[in-house]
Amino acid sequence: MSALRAEARVALAIARKDALAELRGRHATVSTLFFAAVVLLLFGFALGPDAARLAAAAPGLLWLAVMFAGILAVNRLHLLETDDGALEQLALYPVARRAIYAGKALAGFGAMLLLGLLVLGAVGVLFAVDIAAAWPPLLATVILGALGVAAVGTFYAGVTVRLRAREVMLPLLMLPVLAPLLLGAVKATSAALAGDPFGELAAWLQLMVAFDVVMIVAGLATYGFLLDD
Amino acid sequence: MPQTTIYVSPRSLGAPDSRPPAVVTTDLSRLFAGSPALVGVSLRIDAGRTVALLGANGAGKTTLLRILATAIRPSYGRAAVDGLDVDREADLVRGRVAYLSHATGLYDDLTARENLRFAASMLGTPDASQRVERALSDVGLSARASDRVGDFSAGMRKRVALGRILLGNASLVLLDEPYAALDADGLGLVDQLLGAWREVGVTVLVASHALERLEPFLDGRVVLERGIVAGVEGRGVTRLPPTVPVGSAPSREAAS
Repeated sequence: MSALRAEARVALAIARKDALAELRGRHATVSTLFFAAVVLLLFGFALGPDAARLAAAAPGLLWLAVMFAGILAVNRLHLLETDDGALEQLALYPVARRAIYAGKALAGFGAMLLLGLLVLGAVGVLFAVDIAAAWPPLLATVILGALGVAAVGTFYAGVTVRLRAREVMLPLLMLPVLAPLLLGAVKATSAALAGDPFGELAAWLQLMVAFDVVMIVAGLATYGFLLDD
Repeated sequence: MPQTTIYVSPRSLGAPDSRPPAVVTTDLSRLFAGSPALVGVSLRIDAGRTVALLGANGAGKTTLLRILATAIRPSYGRAAVDGLDVDREADLVRGRVAYLSHATGLYDDLTARENLRFAASMLGTPDASQRVERALSDVGLSARASDRVGDFSAGMRKRVALGRILLGNASLVLLDEPYAALDADGLGLVDQLLGAWREVGVTVLVASHALERLEPFLDGRVVLERGIVAGVEGRGVTRLPPTVPVGSAPSREAAS
């Protein structure tokens, strides 16, 4: 129990450090939010002014924007560790490797949750979707989606952080793995916005929970190998 | 300015000769892309000694330090710190080793104080706030503690990295060119640290070209040439006989 508490303390310290560095530098915030806004606007322009069409496409656009922008966010959180040998120093601390993964994933979750909520609000405004009426299931969907992207992104950002072509490799590795989460998130959002007429919302949320659990367990078990020589 | 008495952990207090060897390496070798950086290094360094690693650039000094710090793994052979295998028991070794490398491992967007507080969290330092302030004072950075490390000079960054070592309770301190980039006060700070560690019985292995500066603190010297131990002298360090003939080094799996 004390070992778990110690690991939780380490994870919180890492997440706090990442949040502090981001608040100070704002490297990810500006680029991520701007990118998400651009994705939403461009898809909006491409679909045209038909309000019904935009509302129907809103769940897909929401999650494409969140996932594309989320890749930037998790990548940036790992780029912090390239400061003057910081990643090696992090690996040399006498702490459990899974605690390092948990800390980085927690920071990623915070960033993704903020991003998801802001993009959800933007979708509501831009595409005239009534998100207030369905906020509890939408909030649950955003939380589960943010958790999944953070879990997958933290692992693959660890894979690519030492690569020169990391900006190219990270989406290539992440997006195929995120496909089930994207499917579940889009379907759950659609069902929530429509008032869940077919009673399918719970099933899609369960899929997202299962995805998150599998990815978090896999990340906790394997991330340490990425830090080794 | 540094205080006259630098606080270092009392963990290693005790007569140096009564403790098991701090470092034992056996046929230690490391290849980089097939090229040997370290070849068949077999050494014993007694606890509580300060030993210099000497040699030209590329002699293998940094490679040896990085293996002992668990930053990289040996290609062949073994290394142990306080009797713990650096490859198989790396988690335990990390709790006993502090490593100052060429890179400082600091976060540019955080202040000196925030960097050290983070390090204290990771090291599980008791009384972290007090220890961080004491470390900042000891390395002469109290006045700049709230400034971003990204705005610091190379010498100031090195001071913060030295402060991080003071937060732990390592029994083995590995220093790679500790005098590099430091001004006169900084050089004196490293001298003070070497004296303090020696006083409390911490083992120090230091790679440096500043032999004259190091000389007053040294017990022994190891000279490396192109990855091979070319000479050993002084107290506290012994060259061990190789356990395998040259050309038949065992694989990592076989060695374990």
